[in-house]
Amino acid sequence: METAPAKKTTKKDQRKLILEGFKNHVLEHGTEPASIFKFAQSLKLKEADFYTYFTSFKSIKSAIWTAIFEDTLADLHSQEVFAGYSAREKFLGFLFTWIEELKKSRSYLLVLYGDKGRAFRELPTDTKEFKKAFLEFSEEILAEGKESEEIASRPYVTEKYGEALWLQVMFVFGFWVDDKSPRFEKTDAAVEKSVNLAFDLMGKSALDTFLDFAKFLYQNK
Amino acid sequence: MADGVKEQESIPVSKVQRAAKFISTGAKVGGNYVKHYAKKMVNPSLDKEELHQSNAQDIYSSLSELKGSALKVAQMMSMDKNLLPRAYQDKFTMAQYSAPPLSYPLVVKTFQRFFAKTPEQLFDTFSRAAVNAASIGQVHQATLEGKYLAVKIQYPGVADSVSSDLKLVRPFALRLLNMNEKELDHYMEEVEERLLEETDYLLEVRRSREISKACASIPNLVFPKYYSEFSSERIITMDWIFGKHIKEWMETKPSQGLRNQVGQALWDFYHFQVHELKQVHADPHPGNFIIQEDGRLGIIDFGCVKVIPEDFYQGYFALIKKELGMDEEELDRVFYALDFISDKDSPAEKSYFKQVFREMISLLGKPFHVDTFDFSDDSYFEQIFQLGDRISNDKMFKKSRQARGSRHGLYINRTYFGLYNLLNQLQAEVTTTKPDWLK
Repeated sequence: METAPAKKTTKKDQRKLILEGFKNHVLEHGTEPASIFKFAQSLKLKEADFYTYFTSFKSIKSAIWTAIFEDTLADLHSQEVFAGYSAREKFLGFLFTWIEELKKSRSYLLVLYGDKGRAFRELPTDTKEFKKAFLEFSEEILAEGKESEEIASRPYVTEKYGEALWLQVMFVFGFWVDDKSPRFEKTDAAVEKSVNLAFDLMGKSALDTFLDFAKFLYQNK
Repeated sequence: MADGVKEQESIPVSKVQRAAKFISTGAKVGGNYVKHYAKKMVNPSLDKEELHQSNAQDIYSSLSELKGSALKVAQMMSMDKNLLPRAYQDKFTMAQYSAPPLSYPLVVKTFQRFFAKTPEQLFDTFSRAAVNAASIGQVHQATLEGKYLAVKIQYPGVADSVSSDLKLVRPFALRLLNMNEKELDHYMEEVEERLLEETDYLLEVRRSREISKACASIPNLVFPKYYSEFSSERIITMDWIFGKHIKEWMETKPSQGLRNQVGQALWDFYHFQVHELKQVHADPHPGNFIIQEDGRLGIIDFGCVKVIPEDFYQGYFALIKKELGMDEEELDRVFYALDFISDKDSPAEKSYFKQVFREMISLLGKPFHVDTFDFSDDSYFEQIFQLGDRISNDKMFKKSRQARGSRHGLYINRTYFGLYNLLNQLQAEVTTTKPDWLK
């Protein structure tokens, strides 16, 4: 009984240890470890223990993405103004904060995704969990946007908005990876401009009125 | 540009048409980017040269249609062919950035980056929306301990893109101005230097302080206080100056006495800077001046400051003397020193340009030749425009492929043109003081 809490912390520490160890290995060697056996050995872990937390390097990478996302959300919610933001501002705020979180692991991310071909192959699987969490988060933003009429409800299309925002997140990531401007100011500009475009497109626009009119003509010809 | 420049069919007349012209250019340039990236997807090795060419072409064809209007005035006022930098600054840099305001999350992010705090944590109140657009940023209003503050925030990436923007317009400028590359670069460097300085907010705070301290004894002027603890490379915090811009103020029908008072303060401000400090607030744009309830003139925004080199100063102002009092030889020397003429000119060109510049200078120097000058005299401005028109249509001028006028003249001319214009707007009569050696 007395050892239980202690054991719990070591358990938690070990998970963290593996994540940190993996990052460090990538940073120091420029590649992923050769095998789980070797990696576990370097952390003075038994290979079997490793499997209690992760099943593969893929799952570690995935966990790192989700950790970044969770840190971003925690930071966002700690900002007082966030609650008062409009949907557009919330999404902007998310991306800006996310980029700040990414910055902390920039070297690690560059090693893994700096190469376009590799990023193309591996990003979708590595970010699968992150995407799932993000889509949940984006649902909240979108629901709020619809309520405030910032976002127009359109049959069929509206369901895809979450995916569209996800594509934007990936676009921003790609832009940031290549960004060489001081303080990544170009990424800031890219975020501003692309989010404004996205929300302008999602908002009620001339297109809706046009479709409505076209539909009317079609039905009454 | 193989297909040449399309013949111009009509000159857009009204303001709306002119604005429409610029919008359509913008759309075309945007289209060029789309085309460029579409092509690039198919052929990643494509470089940007082609894009720049098509942009330049569209900008060129649009600008040359506008030549008849504002650009020409600028051209002539600068006494040489440097309309480019003005067109540049007004149409390409400022207009480009004044478009969409920064979103509030980005404002918050900028604050966090430099102060590790949000605006709400720093100030008692902070306006969520921008209250004003500045040339390369936007202004928010804040309060702290009962004081109203103006907080200016720069758009991200502006500083970085100055140089690349200038490069983008270079090909079109070459054609429009009919100059060779070397000569163009001579002016481009000057413009680039000023623009880059303008993006350096720390420098701006330092200069604002220096100049406002030096000018503190001039009557009827007000300078805001600057707060270093809330300023950084991208943020400037200063006192909020309440009052009206010149145009709004004129609508309240102020008395002649009050108008003269404001005009005089403005003149004295420039006189002191040019002749004593030898560095000048080179952006006499109406938006940078605020007239307070009590008729004092508030001066904001020291983004664009031109330091006047001593030898340029001597030559330039020597020309403004009423009786030139110098022989042909001495005059030649000054003209050479100011790059108005050079050894590349033929004797005919030399004598033509000397005569032209003399005429211009005597006209522009007019306010200096009397003790008080009435700037409400529209016929004076009419004369200036006419002279400008005549000269820029003159074959001699068009043919010459020389850059004329020292690069330092660029911003000094702009300053005086702006100053005259403001005084005209104020309909003021001012005592045109001059330094002793010019009397």
